[in-house]
Amino acid sequence: MIALALDILTTAAILFIVASGLLIVFGVMKIINFAHGAFMTVGAYAALITSNLALPAIMAPFLAFVVGGVLGAAAEFVIVRRLYHRPLDAILATWGLAIVVGQVVTLIFGRGVQFVPAPVSGTTAVFGENYSGYRLLLIPVAILIGALFTALLTGTRLGLNTRAVIMNETLAQGLGIDSSRVRLLTFGIGSGLAAVAGAAVTPLTSVDPNMGLPWLIGAFMLVMVSGGSMLTLALACFTLGGLQVLVSTFVSPILGGLTIAVLAAVALRLRPEGFARA
Amino acid sequence: MPDLTSALPAATSRRRSASQAIGLLALPWLVAIALIVAGPWILDAYTVNILIRAFFVATVALTVDVLWGHSGYLTFGQSAFFGLGAYVLAIVFMRLGFGPAQVLTTVAVAIGGAAALAAFVGWLSFYSGSTPLYASVISLVLPIVIVQLLYSGGEFTGSSSGLVGFESFDLSTEAWFRIAGLFALTATLIAKVGISSDAGRLLSAIRDNEMRCAYLGLDTARIRIALLVLCAVVAALAGSGYAGFGGIAAPENASFTFGTQLVIMVALGGRGTLVGAIAGALLIETASAYLSGSLPFVWELIIGVSFIVVIVVLPRGLFGGLRDVLAGAAGAKLSEASAITLETADRTTPISSAQDMVIEVAGLSKSFGSLSVLSDVSFSARRGELVSLVGPNGAGKTTLIRCLADGGERSDGSVKIMGRSINRLPPHRITALGLGRKFQAASVFETLSVADCLRVARTRHERPSLLFASNTLALPAAARAVLETSGLAERLHEEARFLSHGLKQALELAMVLALEPEVVLLDEPTAGLTRAERQRFAELLTALARVDRLCVLIVEHDLDFVREISSRIIVLHQGRIALDGTVAEVVDSPLVREIYSGHRSNAAGEGSR
Repeated sequence: MIALALDILTTAAILFIVASGLLIVFGVMKIINFAHGAFMTVGAYAALITSNLALPAIMAPFLAFVVGGVLGAAAEFVIVRRLYHRPLDAILATWGLAIVVGQVVTLIFGRGVQFVPAPVSGTTAVFGENYSGYRLLLIPVAILIGALFTALLTGTRLGLNTRAVIMNETLAQGLGIDSSRVRLLTFGIGSGLAAVAGAAVTPLTSVDPNMGLPWLIGAFMLVMVSGGSMLTLALACFTLGGLQVLVSTFVSPILGGLTIAVLAAVALRLRPEGFARA
Repeated sequence: MPDLTSALPAATSRRRSASQAIGLLALPWLVAIALIVAGPWILDAYTVNILIRAFFVATVALTVDVLWGHSGYLTFGQSAFFGLGAYVLAIVFMRLGFGPAQVLTTVAVAIGGAAALAAFVGWLSFYSGSTPLYASVISLVLPIVIVQLLYSGGEFTGSSSGLVGFESFDLSTEAWFRIAGLFALTATLIAKVGISSDAGRLLSAIRDNEMRCAYLGLDTARIRIALLVLCAVVAALAGSGYAGFGGIAAPENASFTFGTQLVIMVALGGRGTLVGAIAGALLIETASAYLSGSLPFVWELIIGVSFIVVIVVLPRGLFGGLRDVLAGAAGAKLSEASAITLETADRTTPISSAQDMVIEVAGLSKSFGSLSVLSDVSFSARRGELVSLVGPNGAGKTTLIRCLADGGERSDGSVKIMGRSINRLPPHRITALGLGRKFQAASVFETLSVADCLRVARTRHERPSLLFASNTLALPAAARAVLETSGLAERLHEEARFLSHGLKQALELAMVLALEPEVVLLDEPTAGLTRAERQRFAELLTALARVDRLCVLIVEHDLDFVREISSRIIVLHQGRIALDGTVAEVVDSPLVREIYSGHRSNAAGEGSR
């Protein structure tokens, strides 16, 4: 029972870490970044390099954030900014970007599967239940990311500008806000966060050039359901992630893998605008 | 969300008569048939083999182009139907053996299964108020669900390794090549004829402006679902052919990845061009087969890069871009379209003279949460009346119009059009009751010609042909009068997006009148028009009420204009009807002066916009 509860909590935390970068991009730019999975892969390889060079494991998320952020900002500058008025085409172009990133990673690192050891090994006792210490660690990480970005959005000048761009871009431009800079930073931060997520999940899975793809769809559906708010994203991760764990445990793992996509699709059919103002 | 594909000029905007079209277009088709027949003699065995598969893939890509390029529905899910067809064949041949009866079973189950699945997916994706993004999301989930089901199917579906080793057609590769080639060619021909027909034009109209279609009485969700069912059936048959030739059905055939590859093929070849989709698919399939062996990752990299480049700088793809260049070089060729004959259509709906009270509103209210926008609005109007709805900004005028035209809008109260309650009916059903709505901002089909916009508006009265594009245009007298007084009659070939603001307004009015409505709702039809245009509008509107005996309900700010045209004025103030009376009673009332405060009543129109 306690193990199940911990499974639900840690799964929700992982989903939140993975989806938050996508949410930031969607919230500000109303664009779905289909290269999100590819940036996760980049972050995973950053973690692999950190581990291979025997650098301290705490370096991995920071290295991932820098690499992912720079790549993301470059992609925004070269590709995405031309497609703001064609959001469905932006999905396609970022999907093309995902193919390119995946192939470049393959060319550099080969297509083999590799492993990164967890920085926190062993188990921790929680209410008498021994549970993976690393999975538990991801709960505070998710909370930290959520808190950090809420603070950034509500407490800083950049955040204020960003919210202005979200609400009314034309007016924001008229007031002298450089909205293309806001978009560049947003896309960079979102991609950097994707890479951090990639680095965070690697100790739980293996590293290969296509590892980001399975995460992409789940994250995408969660973001659509959340409707663009951090709080509802957390709720969606908890609810749908929890149901995924329950279905996987009690029905079948294969149906569990479908839970998020199917339930999110049904939820959107009933409430197309998502649950941001529920 | 803005419509993304609307920037693409519609391939259907050039129209020729059927006989000319056949004469002009027959040549390339004959060449294609000759190539398909002669192919196996010219090409080496390896290429023939690759092309057989490529033909089946190209046929699915074609369905993606019809759905995405022509009706604006970006789908990643056509692979699911392809996979379904492949698995149906594999399972039937595996379980029941091979024979003529099994082949028929396969075809029947593949068609039936794909149609049922597509109908379900369509019902999920398309409903009144669904967004293009949502429909794409569902198309993304579909192949993922199907693949997971295949994985969990155990021996029945062969799980992750798929189904192999069943007895299949004993045909030579030459025969397969010709069958597959002619299958792809036939599908292309059907798509081409359908898309260029009067019925096919509806797809471009839906892509350009789905809301306008709904208010022209078209059930867009049903049209979209029907199209999806058709495309799914074709995709499933292609899948069956693919598995029948290859002797294998694998989960990859149904996967999301294959679904995105199809989109890439169509994007590279040229969305909305049909031939481009086929060419893109054949090119990528063949090149992949040759190059993925020698430089596997680099080839994928090239595909990825070219995909990005095409999406960003060449949205019409290689074929679409090429055609634009050729059209530019040929110059005048575009304007050789045949002349359109204007005709006057007889009324197809009889005037129900018994019904004099054509619009009855009782106790209508509308609130957003705790904010009440309209409360207890009751009025009725007769045939031949021109009722102006005036009031300051925020009085609820446009909201009232919306509540009359869409049964889902109002919070409470009842509305009857022609004596029939609108209940909670969607806009297209209310249009069928005899209501026509003109939007505040001119809402037309940007990439269609003037004549085609009007033909779409006539769809409810004249069932459009699935085969031919007509060169006559029959309109009710009132709509025709609008065309002739506005000068649109001489510009029937022009695409709507090139018209001036005033002409767009006139075109939309003509489209609404083409519906043969009994009640016309007009939301600020004269906003932004010149003085002369405004004067013409005034004459038109009064004639509609007096001569054609329509009931016209018009939202207007300009009190001078209102005074000139109205037979009655209703004043809305803070969501309630403040006054309802003749022009003289209302315009000179103290309340109206107060509402338009600071102005004398005859100058009240200024500054309120």
